[in-house]
Amino acid sequence: MSRRADKSSLARAFGLRGAFWVVSGVLLAALGCFAADSPPQVTLDATKAAPRTVEALTERSIVRDYRFAWANLSQALASNSAEPLNGLFQGTANSRLHDEVSSQLRNGLTSRYLNQTHKLEAVFYAPEGDVMELHDTAEYDLEVLDGNKTIQSAHAVVHYIVLMTPGADRWVVRQLQSVPHF
Amino acid sequence: MSWSINTVCRNRSLRSTLGLALGTMVLAAVAFSQDMNVRVPSSAAAGDSISIGTTGSGSATFYLIGPTVSLKHDVQLGTEIVVPSKQTEIAGQYKAIVCSEHCQSADFFVAPAKAASLTLLVHPSRVPVGQNDAISGVALAFDEYGNLIFEPSTVDFQLSAKGSTPTIRSVQTQNGVAWFRAPSGKAAGALQITASLHDIAARRVVQQVASEPCNLRIKGQRTRKGVLVETEPIRDCAGNPVPDGTVVTFTAKAGNEISTVDAPVKQDVARAQIQAKGPLVVSAASGVVMGNELRLEAQ
Repeated sequence: MSRRADKSSLARAFGLRGAFWVVSGVLLAALGCFAADSPPQVTLDATKAAPRTVEALTERSIVRDYRFAWANLSQALASNSAEPLNGLFQGTANSRLHDEVSSQLRNGLTSRYLNQTHKLEAVFYAPEGDVMELHDTAEYDLEVLDGNKTIQSAHAVVHYIVLMTPGADRWVVRQLQSVPHF
Repeated sequence: MSWSINTVCRNRSLRSTLGLALGTMVLAAVAFSQDMNVRVPSSAAAGDSISIGTTGSGSATFYLIGPTVSLKHDVQLGTEIVVPSKQTEIAGQYKAIVCSEHCQSADFFVAPAKAASLTLLVHPSRVPVGQNDAISGVALAFDEYGNLIFEPSTVDFQLSAKGSTPTIRSVQTQNGVAWFRAPSGKAAGALQITASLHDIAARRVVQQVASEPCNLRIKGQRTRKGVLVETEPIRDCAGNPVPDGTVVTFTAKAGNEISTVDAPVKQDVARAQIQAKGPLVVSAASGVVMGNELRLEAQ
């Protein structure tokens, strides 16, 4: 009887420990996933924008939409699906990213943009508010995979020239062009 | 004792074997890293065919990752890899990666090609005459592949309207953008705006329309049904006829009764029929301009 009680207490103890480790593992895995999928961090300095001053509401919209745009871009290139690109990319930027997804898909490659931070600076805001040019100093960990094999994994600092225009309910990215420096 | 000697001997041989192996590995790694290398062009323009050099021997996989391009193919180390012009049409950062047992990479930039088109945004499409800073234009230069050209260059904006001397403004691009602001002209009509850079140009037309009416004069006469009032041809202060559809409000005061009629301008004149039989005072207004008062006696 006492042996059975010991067994059951042992089993309970092991069960509890097991459950603890399983929960810890799941939490750690979730944390890892969360870290990998953490949304891009975007800040905007609009003090040098000219000739038009950037309105507070526009400033918030730019930050929000540019963050979504990069989240969608990295999702598209990680999953090789062009669907996330629809909505926040238009014109040249949209067609180029579509081409990039197709090209990756053809060659069995995927790219991951992790731990993104984007420091935006508005350098031009048209008199009528119909186009804005931004300089983005982006930092991210870029992983390029051929199938499951990582062929490139490096921290990158990239300068982008960005053209955004207002859409019906959001600002869309029309040009996203990397340059050696501003 | 013999055990300890053996152990010492074995340890020594192990150490020397390990040391040798490590040394070989380090040397191999150094040799390998010296062996396989990627050389990328120091400068390239969009649409240029480029050559990427490799060192080493044996076969490897070459990857080119860039804006819109992800290439992958087998190469022989020690040979030059030619990337066709079609793959370098988009300006930006490219990454050349060569993988054998491990991967080596190098980054390079492709700059935009020469300007091939100008995007010209002009506002508004219709503008009243005589307004300060009422017209604005923004020009962005792109190469034939749609890359924004951010090297400074001078864009000439020419504003020309019928019957007036064209004005030209030369503006240097900053961050790839040139822009201007200008007042609208004195006369109604089409204003053609041309932006040009080297031998390329873009054109837009802004329709200049009459400004607010300058003065308003009305006349009227009794009819069987009441009173027919109409304005004299309505013009702005520069003498341009106001556009059709401009609303004129006629107000009729008969004793304590006030009635209003809105009438659109049609061929420079606005007309309204007011039903009243007694003595009447009629006035008219359009925008901020008030017209004269018209007194009509009872029928």
